[in-house]
Amino acid sequence: MTTAVPSRPLLARLPWRKIVLYTLALFFVLYLVLPFYWIVNLSFMHEVDAASVPPHFLPYHPTLENFLGFVNPTADQALVGSRAVQDTPYALMNSLIVAFSTAVFNLVLGTFAAYSFSRIKFKGSQVLLIVYLMTRMVPGIAIIIPFYLVMRTLHLLDTYGALILSYTTFALPITIWILKDYFRSVPRELEDAARVDRCGWFRMMWSVFLPISAPGLVAAAIFSFMTAWNEFMFALFMTSTISSQTIPVIAANFATDLNTQITLMAASGVVAVAPPLILVLFFQRLILQGMAAGSVKG
Amino acid sequence: MSTTTVVKTAARSGTPAGGGAGPRKPRGLTDNLRAYLLNTPAMVVIGVLVAYPIGYSFWLSLHKYNLKLPALQKFVWFRNYVNLVTDPEFLTSLRVTIAFVVVVLGLTVLLGTTLALVLNETFLGRGVLRSLVLLPWAMPGVVNGLMWRTIFDAKTGPLNGLLYQLGVIDSYQAWLTSPTGAFLITALAQVWNTLPFTVIILLAGLSTIPGELYDAAKVDRAGVFQRFGQVTLPWLLHPLLIVLILETMNAFRAFDTIYVLTGGGPGDATNVIAVLNVKTVLTYTDFGLGSAYSWVITLVTLLVSIGYVSSLYKKGSIEV
Repeated sequence: MTTAVPSRPLLARLPWRKIVLYTLALFFVLYLVLPFYWIVNLSFMHEVDAASVPPHFLPYHPTLENFLGFVNPTADQALVGSRAVQDTPYALMNSLIVAFSTAVFNLVLGTFAAYSFSRIKFKGSQVLLIVYLMTRMVPGIAIIIPFYLVMRTLHLLDTYGALILSYTTFALPITIWILKDYFRSVPRELEDAARVDRCGWFRMMWSVFLPISAPGLVAAAIFSFMTAWNEFMFALFMTSTISSQTIPVIAANFATDLNTQITLMAASGVVAVAPPLILVLFFQRLILQGMAAGSVKG
Repeated sequence: MSTTTVVKTAARSGTPAGGGAGPRKPRGLTDNLRAYLLNTPAMVVIGVLVAYPIGYSFWLSLHKYNLKLPALQKFVWFRNYVNLVTDPEFLTSLRVTIAFVVVVLGLTVLLGTTLALVLNETFLGRGVLRSLVLLPWAMPGVVNGLMWRTIFDAKTGPLNGLLYQLGVIDSYQAWLTSPTGAFLITALAQVWNTLPFTVIILLAGLSTIPGELYDAAKVDRAGVFQRFGQVTLPWLLHPLLIVLILETMNAFRAFDTIYVLTGGGPGDATNVIAVLNVKTVLTYTDFGLGSAYSWVITLVTLLVSIGYVSSLYKKGSIEV
């Protein structure tokens, strides 16, 4: 009786196992997809169709006018969401720059720190690692006021700098934790070989170590990028004009404006979710590993 | 420049510790120095951008300080905190927040565990479901708020249309203008957004259960529920604890989705503490009181996160 049955079957051997399983699976597919489907659906509708009773569950006369409005708004669209329509392309650009810079900045800082945890036994390493982890737990709101005052003193308000710096504090702990795990899996022999070749530490890192750790670096970069892309509270405080406002701030303007068009609002949501969604779908495997690795990457 | 040189030399001379057996010269100081040099950039960033602001925030919370009237800055001891605990708006907000956390945790555990168990089975389309799980995770909180707003919209929302056509309701409901409705919808939106993380942690926990345990249970003719109670659940307890702790922190400081979805209304039905905090700061520019608010949030979060770190310790997830 000890034939090794694959470890999975919790509900195995029961006739209704499959039924329950597939019903639940279907429920979850709908649960996960339908809400998102609804804003995608709206974003391709004319405002008139979106306001129809009963609602259309498919865009009857599909249109791109909502998305085209971001590039070339009609007089009507231009009034929506206190210029939010015209601001969307700039906000997207700002978000891209901020998120990308945050990712790069984090990788650089994170690599140094993570290398030390993966290769060196040193006093206080445990404490330091936990300090980094606790930093992740500090609620953004706790530091936002002093952060605002400091950035004001440094004349960094409404610039990319304030955002990149604040997002670095959110993403750095995650980066260090992900990288430290990946770095540990790089065989030490490679470093020793490089050392025998009289190769300096920086060159060894650049041409041997980091290329091998590429999956970890990519995972960490995606986590930082998404943290920066999705963040709203700091963006709300630190930015005031379109020279640094990011896409969540502009998307929120659609929601808080009273005479907003629901289809434009939906289109702004779709535009704002597109980059992270594409990253997630493309790097699924890495992200799942990264999330599961230490349960520390909330 | 001198820093780089030191790191370089140190790196060249030092053999990585713990590498292999064999006699080695004790090199404690060099290794320590090297490690701390490597950590300096990160420590500087954390120190300047987190540690200092937290301290400064506490200092501000002991002051009367309005951004618009900076000249009137005055040290008032714990006056802000006293005002806070006697402020009915804060107390209401605290109640709303606690209710929010409880509802969110309940739903998260229920849905997350079920979904993780489903994903742990083999079935056609598992890969698809696995990718779909990540969809809410990619969604910015603001977009999440927008999304649920359009779904529960009184006139154009699909929910009204669907329920009306099915005959469940006989007139369109203004879900978001009823206090209970708005409260439940914010909780729902929060759960939807954070579910992926829960599922991934639980799934990781499930994957560590040795298959033999189930085989043994089967030999004992244990039913599904017995197997769940005797094999799965005990193994799942630690991941569940982690989920509870992390989601408590997340829910306690939930902001962007709620801000966009209801703005704290109607009345103060969804005026959770983070939303109230931001409104206090943005509307009244009262930085003293605002800091006191955020210190309450910080204290709760830190207490919870100490629980998190120590439970990671017990599990042995933190090894250095």
